[in-house]
Amino acid sequence: MLLTLDLNDARPLHEQVAAAIRRAIGEGHYVPGDRLPPARDIAAALGINSNTVLRALRELRDEGLLEFRRGRGVSVSARADGRALLRERARELLDEARKYGYRREDLITLIEELA
Amino acid sequence: MNLRTAALPAGAVVAAAVVAPPLALRDRLPDPMAIHWGPGMVPDNAASFSVHLIMMAALWGLLWLGLVAAARRAVDSRPGRVSWWALFSGGALFAILISATTLWANLDAPVWTDARLDPLATAAVVILPLAVAVLSGYLGRGEPDPPAYDAQPPRLRLRSGERAVWVSRISNPWPLIISGAGAAVLFVLGTLEMTGFVRMSSIAAVLPALVVVLLVGLFASSLSARVSEDGLVLAFGPFGWPVRRIRLDKIHHAHVEERYPSQVGGWGLRGLPGRTTIMLRGGECLILTYHSGGRLGVSIDDAERGAALINTLIAERTAA
Repeated sequence: MLLTLDLNDARPLHEQVAAAIRRAIGEGHYVPGDRLPPARDIAAALGINSNTVLRALRELRDEGLLEFRRGRGVSVSARADGRALLRERARELLDEARKYGYRREDLITLIEELA
Repeated sequence: MNLRTAALPAGAVVAAAVVAPPLALRDRLPDPMAIHWGPGMVPDNAASFSVHLIMMAALWGLLWLGLVAAARRAVDSRPGRVSWWALFSGGALFAILISATTLWANLDAPVWTDARLDPLATAAVVILPLAVAVLSGYLGRGEPDPPAYDAQPPRLRLRSGERAVWVSRISNPWPLIISGAGAAVLFVLGTLEMTGFVRMSSIAAVLPALVVVLLVGLFASSLSARVSEDGLVLAFGPFGWPVRRIRLDKIHHAHVEERYPSQVGGWGLRGLPGRTTIMLRGGECLILTYHSGGRLGVSIDDAERGAALINTLIAERTAA
């Protein structure tokens, strides 16, 4: 699993980790049913606390992207699909828009104009 | 012709050469017959004719089966071809000679203690197969292998201010199952010892081997790999220990190759230093080429992205 973090990102670390995992799944690196590396391994690679990674994994479980199974670790949920990618892209788009001074409502108007 | 289809009839001919002469000359052999000679060429061990025949058949049969199984992938690389041909010819000749010399020594001996082995024959059993193995390995070497990696090793595109890490893990349940079986044997032996069925001395004989099987199986059951700015870290076993760290500045580049246990000589840590493979399962392997020219192969999932990240980090480091 390839995880990328933005060093200038001001969001809390667990959100950044969740976003990185969401991106990895959204870009098709992982398909439903695939097992994720253990939180301990991810934490060691990123040089952060395991609890931060676990918090990110729990967030993704609550979103329906991941499944926790006893004895089988964490795997990509069968329900995860393009929605995860779109969600992450939309979030990035929102951040980009904010940089140029546009609000969420402006973005929605923009998308409605496209449709 | 396919190596495997050729190995089947050729191996059957060898099997006949190993088994047929003792069967044909059975009337002139003592039973039990001498099967081992000590110092001074005095026979010191004997076995019944049928046990000897089964041992001879098994000696070649197991090697033959293994070679037939390995034939398909062994032809893909020069080391594979060389070792396949060396094992096939050397092993065949060894099996034939050992059967023939035992037969020769026992022929017309009234009892097994009278069987005399010619010292020259023992020398021949060792030297001739080795010579034939070396020669046939050389003759069967074939064309040199093409360079295994593309001229352009895989790369990633990272935006500036972005930090990337790669994490992957594979597990193979078989070593764990084998060590589980080892632990069960250990437990049963311990119980038997405590209840007095078996004396400790007989347990002591198998204890070291069992413990080794247990530990090796445990460490070889899973492997996790991670790549970050510090380099590649490989952690073995369910506890993530032992750990092997390889710094980025030692690595020249990384690429991906398909490697199989039949090519590298089995599972586990395989090969000589400089061309080692850590083989837990056949298939996709991450191959590191060091500046020193040595190579390390690691069987791991998602190796393509791992290799790409290593190459990207090396490029960033040299640019900085």
